[in-house]
Order: sequence, then C-alpha cells, then structure tokens
Amino acid sequence: MPIIDVHAHVGRWQFHLSSGDADTNLAQLDRYGIDLQIVSAAEAVVYDAVAGNAALLTALRTRPRLLGYAVVNPNRPEESAADLRRCLDSGRFVGAKIHTHYPGRLPGTTEMAEAFDVVAEAGVPLLLHTWGEEVTLLPELVEARPGLRVILGHAGGDAWREAARAAAGCDRLYLEHCRTATDAGRIAYAREAGVPVERMLFGTDATLIDPCVSLGVIRDAGFTAEERERVLWRNAAELFALPQPLSGHPTP
Amino acid sequence: MSPDHPDTSVTNGEDHWLRPSPEEHIGWDVDVLYGPWPRHHRDTTLAEVRDHLSRSTVAGALALSTRGPLYDDAEGNAQTLRDLAGCPELLPVGTADVRDALTAEDRLDELAAAGVRFLRLFTTEQAAEPGFPGYRHTVRLALERGLVLLHDGDPRRFGPPLMGRGAQVVFLDLHAYLLADFLLMAREEPGFKATTRMLSGPDSIERAVGTVGPRHLVFGSRTPFMDLSPQTLKLRYADLTPDERAAIATKNVEELLA
Repeated sequence: MPIIDVHAHVGRWQFHLSSGDADTNLAQLDRYGIDLQIVSAAEAVVYDAVAGNAALLTALRTRPRLLGYAVVNPNRPEESAADLRRCLDSGRFVGAKIHTHYPGRLPGTTEMAEAFDVVAEAGVPLLLHTWGEEVTLLPELVEARPGLRVILGHAGGDAWREAARAAAGCDRLYLEHCRTATDAGRIAYAREAGVPVERMLFGTDATLIDPCVSLGVIRDAGFTAEERERVLWRNAAELFALPQPLSGHPTP
Repeated sequence: MSPDHPDTSVTNGEDHWLRPSPEEHIGWDVDVLYGPWPRHHRDTTLAEVRDHLSRSTVAGALALSTRGPLYDDAEGNAQTLRDLAGCPELLPVGTADVRDALTAEDRLDELAAAGVRFLRLFTTEQAAEPGFPGYRHTVRLALERGLVLLHDGDPRRFGPPLMGRGAQVVFLDLHAYLLADFLLMAREEPGFKATTRMLSGPDSIERAVGTVGPRHLVFGSRTPFMDLSPQTLKLRYADLTPDERAAIATKNVEELLA
C-alpha cells in the first residue's frame, strides 16, 4: 500500500539524536515503505526561514520522493510572501509550513493572521504546528479565508480533544497525529467528534521522530483496510493534487 | 496475536510494520495502570487492561490501581494487591502519597510486608518538586528499604538529588529531547534506568545503549493511556543485538525482581 508522509523535516535538530541530511530521509522511506514525504527544512523552522527554504530546494531538486513545504515566518509576512512564491515557482514545493513555538506567535495574534493571509493567497495547503488550546480559534480563522486548507500538525498535541472538535466544525481542517507521546484513543475520539476519515492524514515528524512511531499509531487505530488507505496516502494525494500512481514527483 | 506465532507472510512484506513480530516481544512492561482517571474521557478497568495486553506482544507487567495515586494510597495499595492476586501476568506496584508523607512509613512497611519491590511516585499528579520535604522524606524511607523507585517527572530535576545514594530508579518520563542529560547521570549511576516510551528519535535507543549499555533501559508503555504499538515497534526496529533487545524488554526487570 502506498504511503505519503505529510509531516517531515530535513536537517539537524538540537537534541542528542542523529537527524542526518536528505539522504537520511530517503533511507527511512525505504526502510518503512513510504513512497513520498513532504518536508520542511529544520533550519527554516528554528533559525532562518529564507535560507533554510533555499537550502531545502537544493536538496529537493535531485530527490523526487521528497516534496517541500516553504516555511513562513509570521513575524515577517512580506519577506515570507515573496519567498513562498519563489519556492512554489520552483515546482518542488507543494505547501507552506508555519511553526508557532520558534517564531513565538500563536493563532489569535495579528502576525499569525497575516501569515494565514499569505498562505491563503498562495492557494496551497498549510501545515501548522499545533500544540495547545489555541486550536479552537482555527475554524474562524480558516472560514474567513476562502480556499485555505490547514493541516493541524500533531493534531493539537496535548489539546487533541480541542483539535478534534475544531476539525469536526470546519471541513477545511485536517488532522495529522504525529508526536512522541502517543496518547491512546486520539483517532477514535476525533471520529466520534465527527471528523471524517477523509480529513485524517499520515505524518511522522521525521527525522526528528522515527517513522515507526506514527506507523504504530496507525496500527492501533482500528482502521479498516479502506480507511487505512485513505489515511496513509489517498487523502494526501487529493489534498496536494499529487499524480497517481505515486512514483515520485517530477523534477522540473 | 501471540508473539510466538507471528504472521511472517506480512512481516516480510511492504507493510511489515502492520503486524507484530517476535522482535516486539516484551517480557515485562513496568508502566501499567488501571482504574478511574478523571482527566480522561473514559476509564479503563483491570479486565479491559488485561484483555488489551493479552492481545499485544506484552507478556507481563508491573501494575497498580489509580486509586492509590489519585485518592487514597493505603486503600489503593490494598486494592492493587487484592486485584492482582488473581492475575499471574501482573505484579503489584505500590505507591505513597508525598502530600501526606508523615504516613509514608506505614505505607512502605505495608508494602514491604506484602513483598512489593516497586514504589511508584506520582509527583506530577501530587504537585511535588524535588526539594519538597514530603517528597524527600518518602524517597529516603524507600531507599532505606531497598525499594525500586518508578519515578515520573523530569529526570533532569529529580535525578541529581538521587545520585550518590545507591538508588535503583526507573525514570518513566524520559523524553528523547532530554536523553543527553539522562546519560550524563547514568554514566555515574549504575542503578539509573529509563523507559523507552518517549525515546522517539531515530537512534535514541541506540545512543543510550551505545553510551551506557542496555542495562539502563527498560520497557514501560503507560498502558492504557498510550498506544502500545509505537513503543513495541521502536524496540523492534532499533539497531540492537538480540541480547540487547532482550535485556531491555525482559531481563533488566527480572534482575530487579530477583
């Protein structure tokens, strides 16, 4: 069965672990049978968005199984808007990524609202780091921006109940459940709250987290084979308008 | 599925992660609870926990009722002992509430009389910090009795005051981000161990084994509050020898039980 990982990174993290480089991502894809991975640059997330996005583009040009998220820094909307356009024009980026911890901005701030405007204007899916009850603000923020589709990375973290209810109330919010502490029952709770399986995506947080953690969550979720197929790749292929069958994204 | 009868037709296929393999066999899980937990949207009974484990690759576990840490430590310990008397795959863990540490001596004597080897501390739920007198008193009494501590919380905060005391401690909440700090302590403390539950980095387990050896890791899933497969899969796919994997999954706990 094909697998698309919609939440991954390339590059080093500041912890006692081996993140490697883009070839490390490819080795992990092979190990776990993952076909495509959509990645952001760790450098862009934690340090310098523009420089990190540029370095990632270099890595993506020769690795068709990796596609990019351009990191948008909500503190610098004009700079990020121009950079996002450059990245998307390369043909190797298919979405935008916004973290909240490193830039120190959460949904509810003026800066994040402007960053959402930037992504909505670009017309690509947004992977948003979500880790708290601010997820309750997302339905209103998304409804105000026609066409914006937001993946709740980590499905809210500790606020996974609030994230599930938010996603149940807005059909342009998607849940992606990767995290280290794999609280039991998150997917069942989301389904009971009204989130359809068509709006659940598979993500790993590689190479910060080993992909087997998220694969284990899928194994324990109790999906039917058809549902598992939707979560593991079909939903992502539709959201990102990826070519099928999955054989790597053509490099321009 | 029994770990002794894996479905090899799948384990060797492209979805090999989807079915358990023998490399996921766990002899002892040190982190299992049962009973009410008001912050969760539903509770899990002992019968449900047993059923869950019976369908997993976990063969045995150290468990306790949530009544002890959340409501009444004396009654909770008694309940754990009573409940698990009929559960051969589960060994009882005791607790003492550090918010009422003047009674800790009685609790620990009761546990020792019952042959309990493990004392689990709940500093997060009981809002205790390393310097609190009640916490320090309870820990001192436990170490004097040779109990093994199953310790929640941040090892960077709770570990240093336990160093140099010959303590046997299993840290239950070691996150991959904190691994370097734990290893610095474990290099000096032969009795310091941690569970692999949150060692989620691509080589967190391997780095720990490479730095201090497999004797410093054990398996602890926090069933039923956490998914089990992510944790057994981590052990399965970690780049370990069979002996190293067996030490983490089974033998290190057997040594603590001896």
